[in-house]
Amino acid sequence: MTTPATQTGVHPESTVPTAGRRAAPLADVSVMIGGQGGDGTLTVSDLLGRYFRKRGLYVYTSRNVLSRIRGGHADASVRASREPIAAVKSTVDVLLAFDQEAVAIGAHELAPHGYILYDSTTFKSELPNATGFPFATLVGSQLGQPIFKNTAAYGALSVIFGFDPTETRGVIEERFKRRGGEALEKNLKALEIGRRAALEADGLADRFSVADGNAHDQIMTTGNQAVALGFVVGGGRFFAGYPITPATEVMEYLQRYLPPVGGVVRQAEDELAAVNMILGAAYAGARVMTSTSGPGLSLMTEGIGQAGAAEIPIVVADCARVGPSTGQPTRHEQSDLSHLANLGHGEYPRFILAPGTPVDCFEMTAEALNLAERWRLPVFLLLDQALCQNTVTSPRFDLAAVKIDRGERLAPADVQRLEQYKAYAFTDSGRSPYAPPGTPGVWAEITGNEHDEWGHVSVNPANRERMMQKRMEKMVRAREELPAGRCFGPASARIGLIGFGSTYGPIREAQALLAERGTATRFYQARTLFPVPTHELDPFLRSVDVAFVIEHNYTGQFARLLRETMPDLHGKLKSVRKYDGANFRAPQLVAEIAGGA
Amino acid sequence: MVQSAKPVPPIWCPGCGDFGVLAAVKKAALEQKVAPHDLVLVGGIGCSGSIHNFLEVNGIHALHGRLLAQAIGVKLANPALTVIAAGGDGDGYAIGMGHFLHAFKKNASIVYLVMNNETYGLTKGQPSPTSQVGFEGNIEQPFDAILTALSIPAPNFIARTFSGDPKTMTAVLSEAIRFTREGHGFAFIEDLSPCVTYNDTYKLWREKVQDLSKLPGYDPTDRATMFRLCLEAQAAGRIPIGVMHRPAQPGRDGLETKVVGSGPGPARAEMDLTANAAAYQKLLAALG
Repeated sequence: MTTPATQTGVHPESTVPTAGRRAAPLADVSVMIGGQGGDGTLTVSDLLGRYFRKRGLYVYTSRNVLSRIRGGHADASVRASREPIAAVKSTVDVLLAFDQEAVAIGAHELAPHGYILYDSTTFKSELPNATGFPFATLVGSQLGQPIFKNTAAYGALSVIFGFDPTETRGVIEERFKRRGGEALEKNLKALEIGRRAALEADGLADRFSVADGNAHDQIMTTGNQAVALGFVVGGGRFFAGYPITPATEVMEYLQRYLPPVGGVVRQAEDELAAVNMILGAAYAGARVMTSTSGPGLSLMTEGIGQAGAAEIPIVVADCARVGPSTGQPTRHEQSDLSHLANLGHGEYPRFILAPGTPVDCFEMTAEALNLAERWRLPVFLLLDQALCQNTVTSPRFDLAAVKIDRGERLAPADVQRLEQYKAYAFTDSGRSPYAPPGTPGVWAEITGNEHDEWGHVSVNPANRERMMQKRMEKMVRAREELPAGRCFGPASARIGLIGFGSTYGPIREAQALLAERGTATRFYQARTLFPVPTHELDPFLRSVDVAFVIEHNYTGQFARLLRETMPDLHGKLKSVRKYDGANFRAPQLVAEIAGGA
Repeated sequence: MVQSAKPVPPIWCPGCGDFGVLAAVKKAALEQKVAPHDLVLVGGIGCSGSIHNFLEVNGIHALHGRLLAQAIGVKLANPALTVIAAGGDGDGYAIGMGHFLHAFKKNASIVYLVMNNETYGLTKGQPSPTSQVGFEGNIEQPFDAILTALSIPAPNFIARTFSGDPKTMTAVLSEAIRFTREGHGFAFIEDLSPCVTYNDTYKLWREKVQDLSKLPGYDPTDRATMFRLCLEAQAAGRIPIGVMHRPAQPGRDGLETKVVGSGPGPARAEMDLTANAAAYQKLLAALG
């Protein structure tokens, strides 16, 4: 195994401005905003994102916050590009710092040509490429409240980038129009205070410029929002959850989305109740989901086992964070895969799907509901913090991409044609037709005890064997129905890359950087992780000399799963791992791949 | 007539208090004219939790302690169903305690029937949360579910019955089923149901039970009165039984009517893409 990558000095961007004024436009720009929680860093990030989108750019924003309401270092970054992006940029072009700590942290990320704007109210930086303005003092003395300092800082940023003044102002109006009145008025004044200060400073105006793009038909969303929308459109009508970072937004979006279409969302007393509420609702015939993260998943384990044994269709979205235990609630990791693949005592079938983009999140959540109901088992959506929470421009979600397939669901009229209704009937397809309670004239026993076709508790050895086979064979029978992986890069490439989830972004970018150096790679984005899609991976691995399995965990969980499943291709796999809580950046991957191939 | 799952013979020991409960469930469901396909029995883990196997109804066997969460999920998904969660004192008051307390907060229109035998019978007689001090070495205080239930304000139905008095038990259960079918909220019944093998309390309980409705001043609409009457009965060495709470003005339940409204519930909500196209387009358009 290779050792985990460390940050390298490789600089991927091809359009680096030369020092001095009137630099060539950046085609790919990154702004980092740092301060204390409560300084308004996320607002500045949001305002910049809105501006860049108006200029037709692709946008990706990420945040680095602590698990506390206020205080502590917090930073956000906004990246905008003329090309589609799905990752943070490796270096920062402009750093906006509200305190000294933010300068210290952000300066490490700064590109050689980078520049620092900071709030000089409480300190002064000696760095040569930095200009300070006392934003808090300026705004406090003129508006009575220093809290609008972040908007003033946005004003200064608009000057350093040479933003169009009308559109800069329009973004503020758009953002604060709902609050209106004084909030809007003071933010507009703060914007002018910041702009004026920056315009009066020597050599700051138009230091950078950002080229306009053509990405006008995009939406801005997160994986969590896309999962919530996919659930609604896929016919999901019952959701129960318990607040946990970074999964909570799924529940919050659904609290808005579900009631208008006759759905119900409940915040349960704990994750045990949440998973059991969806089990009850699924049993009663609703399409259901819960979302959680590692610690909640541990608690849901017993309920998910019942779904497997009693054949109750549920979808569980695992918005993974750093584990084990409480881990790092706000940080990024992909270390739940082994847990999901082996979750629970005993043996039962499950599918693990791994969306990599918001469109994947939308379409695969809807598909997860189909798969759960067709095969009557738990389906996991394995996401990660970056995919869940970072905002990104995305193609619009396509309703036509969603189909609803309820499997062998029995309508009241279907039931009347039956002689017998057995909820666990053995059939040629391996799927038992199901009539939910309330279907006139029939009833059944549903249980996680081993049972016969009627649902009666059974210890008959022959029945036990047959029921085990019926359940476990779902993972074989359903294989071709599970979401297919995607390949990127020339089929002739001898270097393979394998990843899932949000590593999609940095891997695609690394591929482009490697291609510039003349190194061809082919990337297999796994979208079904379990059962391992060997029918796709086997030919993929045979087509390359080496395959780097890129993932965010210590032990190389996906690589281990592949080695276990395809032992004869063992020698081709190289594990690239990162577990420091932050995402891969393309240059790191380039270094790993170039060094390891 | 389509053939559905037939009931199997009960696994209980001859003389078990749970037989009385089984008979009462049958009679009460008939009295309230609940069709078998509209009745869902959610069973807990333990001897009592197997009750759903012995009746011609929809049965779901929940995980240990989780039956209330599953029962509430069933009811929210399809409010037209009549839902009875049934389990034991270990299931409800030990591993399920968190859900038990929250069920009163939620006040969903389901019946929760606890068969309390003051022991873990299925695992052969260990002390349970309601065991008396000294039973099988128990040194913990017994938990009183009725006093706890009375302490959480909600317009619910609360009662304690005794398997030795099946007539009263049937009447109380029938009222509880009606209460939930009319959407008034949560109905909790603790039935004293002796375990003839590991804690045979029939004789003792028959002597000790005291029907509070026979007492002067009995007023199940007033929590403070009922709390006092229970404590006084206990101080006199008696076990209080009877309807412990019944709202003066039946209210609307805390969940279904509020979150499902007048719709059919999530299990029967329209999920067709074409039928929902306008609503979905509106959601997607908001992404900007």
